[in-house]
Amino acid sequence: MPLPHFARYFQYVLLGLLTSFVVLPAWGQASAPTHRYWVELRDKAGVEFNPAAYFHPAAQVRRLRQHLPAFDQTDLPVKATYIVQVQAYSDSVLFVSRWFNAVACRATAAQLTALAKLPAVRRVTELPDRPLLPTARLPAVRPVVGKDKMTLSTADRQLARQQTRTLGGDAFRRAGLDGRGLRIAIFDVGFSGADQHPAFRELFAQKKVVASYDFVRHVPDVFHGGTHGLEVLSCLAGRLPDGTLLGLAPGAEYLLARTERMHREVYAEELDWLAAVEWADRNGADIINSSLGYTSRRYFPEEMNGRTSLVARAAELAARKGILVVNAAGNDGDNEDWRTVGTPADADSVLAVGGINPETGLHLDFSAYGPSADRRLKPNVAAFGTVLAASPGGYSRIDGTSFASPLVAGFAACAWQQQRTLTAMALFQQIQESASLYPYYDYAHGYGIPQAEALLRQTQQASKQPQAATVNFVAQDSVLAVFIRPEIAQMVLTQQLPLYTDSIGGSDEVPSRVAPLGKEEARPASSLEAPSETTPAVVARPPALPAASYLYWHVADAKGVLRRYEVLEVSQRAILRIPRRTLLPGDVVRVFYQGITHSYPIK
Amino acid sequence: MKRILKPAAALGIVTGLLCPISTYAQRVLLHSDVATDTIYGSFGPNRKFFNHIYLGYLPVVGKSGVGSEIRYGSSGEFMLGLRNKFRLSEPLSIGLDLRFVRLSYLLSQTDHKRLPTPVVHYRESLALSQWQLEGFVRLNAGARGNVVGRYLDLTGWGGWVMSTAHRVEDRPSAGPRRVQTNERGLPYLRRWPYGVGARVGSGRYAAVARYRLSDTFTSSYQDAYPELPRWTVGLEIGWL
Repeated sequence: MPLPHFARYFQYVLLGLLTSFVVLPAWGQASAPTHRYWVELRDKAGVEFNPAAYFHPAAQVRRLRQHLPAFDQTDLPVKATYIVQVQAYSDSVLFVSRWFNAVACRATAAQLTALAKLPAVRRVTELPDRPLLPTARLPAVRPVVGKDKMTLSTADRQLARQQTRTLGGDAFRRAGLDGRGLRIAIFDVGFSGADQHPAFRELFAQKKVVASYDFVRHVPDVFHGGTHGLEVLSCLAGRLPDGTLLGLAPGAEYLLARTERMHREVYAEELDWLAAVEWADRNGADIINSSLGYTSRRYFPEEMNGRTSLVARAAELAARKGILVVNAAGNDGDNEDWRTVGTPADADSVLAVGGINPETGLHLDFSAYGPSADRRLKPNVAAFGTVLAASPGGYSRIDGTSFASPLVAGFAACAWQQQRTLTAMALFQQIQESASLYPYYDYAHGYGIPQAEALLRQTQQASKQPQAATVNFVAQDSVLAVFIRPEIAQMVLTQQLPLYTDSIGGSDEVPSRVAPLGKEEARPASSLEAPSETTPAVVARPPALPAASYLYWHVADAKGVLRRYEVLEVSQRAILRIPRRTLLPGDVVRVFYQGITHSYPIK
Repeated sequence: MKRILKPAAALGIVTGLLCPISTYAQRVLLHSDVATDTIYGSFGPNRKFFNHIYLGYLPVVGKSGVGSEIRYGSSGEFMLGLRNKFRLSEPLSIGLDLRFVRLSYLLSQTDHKRLPTPVVHYRESLALSQWQLEGFVRLNAGARGNVVGRYLDLTGWGGWVMSTAHRVEDRPSAGPRRVQTNERGLPYLRRWPYGVGARVGSGRYAAVARYRLSDTFTSSYQDAYPELPRWTVGLEIGWL
């Protein structure tokens, strides 16, 4: 048996493999085996802080307006002596977080031991290193040579109008609300070409982009790295050449932050997100729109509880400082391995926005489902998940909850402009209450699409006209039956509301899979072709959302956690029979039909 | 109408339509049973159990004995296997592979050749087809989600050689252009190989080094035939 021979060579091979194992994380970096650590420090005793010097006036006013203290403990700077100590016992300092009184650094194992023994250090936890493999890449962009992306079809123009109109954009415009006086921070993968795009000509001419910072490269320029931010920005403040607004907040000021690398999903980006949220707070952001989410490469679905990830905790802190954080729910609804919202959309105080199909008014396949891992309602609201957005060289139809989020962020800006004294969480609640299904909810649509008319009615204290019941509950021996009331059925029949003929056109083929948040891409230009002369242009009325013929119902337990929900297409009065054996005492059966939510508590 | 429902939801629809107790002749556009839709799986790259198919090619490396020189680069083992991994904790897993391995040694046709005969041919090879079982301990680096991540595997393997073949090709100057001869069931090759190995990987890719502890030749032929190289080093790609 040649053991000595084996042993001699095997030790070298093993050593080589071990070395590569340790070195792999640091591939591409000059230094040797180091890991990334999150060093939490003990205190901020004795640090000096002048909020007037640190915060932008807009940030100070935001706090004042919401009756928040001028600053709190989390705003104080990290003690310089502590940073020096961490620097001395680490390879490099990556980021210093005031909010968490922590330093992210790269250190060797020996340095880690020394770091942990420092009196100033409360706890050291390892930050996972960046995975070597890129996340699932998108299919190659299909060339659009020969297609004029500035030429829009009637259906595309209709979609552009619809994406704001379904939120009540017209009502906001009539009320003179366009987000003026608000600061909206956008965190994204890059805003390549946004400064040159005709959709933002007015925005840049009016110097509405007040600050920008690339947290990946640490430079102020963000107009590179990817076009996703351009598309997202257009759903807030973009315009078509004819002046049609693609979003609701062209009057707001913008802070643009690049926090993400295209085609990568690395933990470093969470630190960048955290750095950006502190930057946004300092620069007076009222609203943060984050069309980003972190999912399976870092977390498990059961960790989507709003407490696990660093970004979720940072988003919660932002909410406490009076910032409304609006985040896309995620594009993993059709991913059997994930399905739920990503983080930070999982955070309790983050307004998570799902995607609605403009054609049907229902949840889009890819839009992530709730609830959160701790059974809270997610997504909170929804908006179109298929939109017309500015894209390089023109405009494109594009799918993703990334674009529903800025639509709602724009809605929030208009609402906040109208009620400037609201706190962020009061606004959060008002947006939910204004939504089309409220008080009904489910884990696909949340409370539905926010409605400007409902919100403005709330603020004007206008009492809503009492509406007649639309369904009856009848408890039978073994079933709870739900019937549509005869007079309502008659009304629906006479209205003859077709389900599809008032839609925006037949080109709404939502792709079976949509890329992860931040990586969505425009549809090929074929969808933007102008209709031929022989094809009659689809001149459509806006679809009534939710559609008149839809009936939504759910069974919630005593805590409001849903056990089952459905959307039915109504074709007869006897609409529903629920076996009573499936209902427990304390459950509530809710039915939403024709704008009215009916509840039937189970005793 | 475009498809707006997930497969699970579609199942719900079918159930709903077939079961008039719960719904009553209505078209279900969206259905969710929250309890079943939010079950967290136990199968996945970083779940309790994971398995996947993988392919590998590991060229033979290391020194051969005098008289049994091989052609490097052409000699190697191709493997196709099923890897089963059981997670014990975030950094520690164990696993068991079952694989088919085809190990080929292309013999150099030198003047001092002894294996299996001194006769020099145009081309000559020994091939062993085997089934192998491999146990491994996996050490993972760093916290991660439901992904394979970076890892180091320490492995021990054993196998059964189900077929052996000695292939010879000659190019005679007269007669047929090419003459191929196959000899199977070679009595001088061991049937039960075993060894150890190590594997370092990231995601679907892994660099593998394996060392054969068992001898190639049965004891009665060991004096006649110098041992063949024991090392194979190569790459594996997992079908995750």
